Amino acid sequence: MGFSLRSGLFIASLSALVVIIVAVIRKSLNIKYSIVWLLWALLSLLMAIFPESFYKISDFLGIQLPVNTVFLIMTALLYALTFYVYIMISKHNEEIIKLTYEISVLKKELDELKKKQ
Amino acid sequence: MKTLVVIPCFNEQDSIANLVKEVVVYGYDYLVINDSSKDNTQKILDEQAFSHLDLPINLGIAGVTRVGFKYACDHGYDCVICIDGDGQHPPKYMKELIDEVENGYDYVLGSRFVNEKKPFSMRMLGSRLLCLLIRIKTGKRVTDPTSGMRALGRKVIELFDRSMNFYAEPDALCYLLHHGFSVKEVPVEMKERNAGVSYFANPLKSVYFMLAEILSIIFIQ
Repeated sequence: MGFSLRSGLFIASLSALVVIIVAVIRKSLNIKYSIVWLLWALLSLLMAIFPESFYKISDFLGIQLPVNTVFLIMTALLYALTFYVYIMISKHNEEIIKLTYEISVLKKELDELKKKQ
Repeated sequence: MKTLVVIPCFNEQDSIANLVKEVVVYGYDYLVINDSSKDNTQKILDEQAFSHLDLPINLGIAGVTRVGFKYACDHGYDCVICIDGDGQHPPKYMKELIDEVENGYDYVLGSRFVNEKKPFSMRMLGSRLLCLLIRIKTGKRVTDPTSGMRALGRKVIELFDRSMNFYAEPDALCYLLHHGFSVKEVPVEMKERNAGVSYFANPLKSVYFMLAEILSIIFIQ
């Protein structure tokens, strides 16, 4: 990785870190979900500061350009994160159906009570 | 047998009142589920004092039927029969389906093609493909896998209340066949929809539907 790529990665991950922390402080991001983002930003910061370990990984995997290792790791992480989000969406779908059911049944029972009175 | 007729409806102000009146004649408990319609459906249901649930958000057909099964499970019904709110499933066939549930079948499907031949159209081509896939996967023959008119026994109601990870009717049918539930098809006639636009009028949605069904039947159910 050349100097400009490293400094670009450094600046990008540092600003990502700042944005994440600000979002948590402003409560637009739950602490629970911020952990994974913080770790991610820290990881890319480490990549920018200590690229040697990535040279080693690249050698080990037989990847000629270390920057491709960065892309590989980022893509794999994105896949994992997106999959996690899909799992959360599915869970929320189920919960929404349950809540909708409860609300509509309560409404029905309330209407019936009102009519009786 | 304690039976509940579930009628999902979305924007059916023109047909819902007549349909419910037709259903009431048969004496079963019924429940109209209004999937937050944007027209006067809710007003009509309130004014006529039909037994109904008003969903605060639009869940779509799969979610609405799920709500119906939950209701039936919570209120101790032994049998649920689904009738579309657009009036394409004539209520006169309800008894035949419910009778078969009473005879011990877990899932009874109203089928248009038990005795009739399937016409050749794009839609029926899809139907044939789904039949073939279900045949290959489960070894059992069905004629109308996309039919939305079905009666469910207590076992299936409880199962669908707990978890219902299906895309639509065909893969749910495939799951039940594959897991040893007894399924029966009963010949019914369905009416063409008299108002509104079909979901399958959009070719992209039809393609997505088929793709989701094929993948679900092959890999999941």
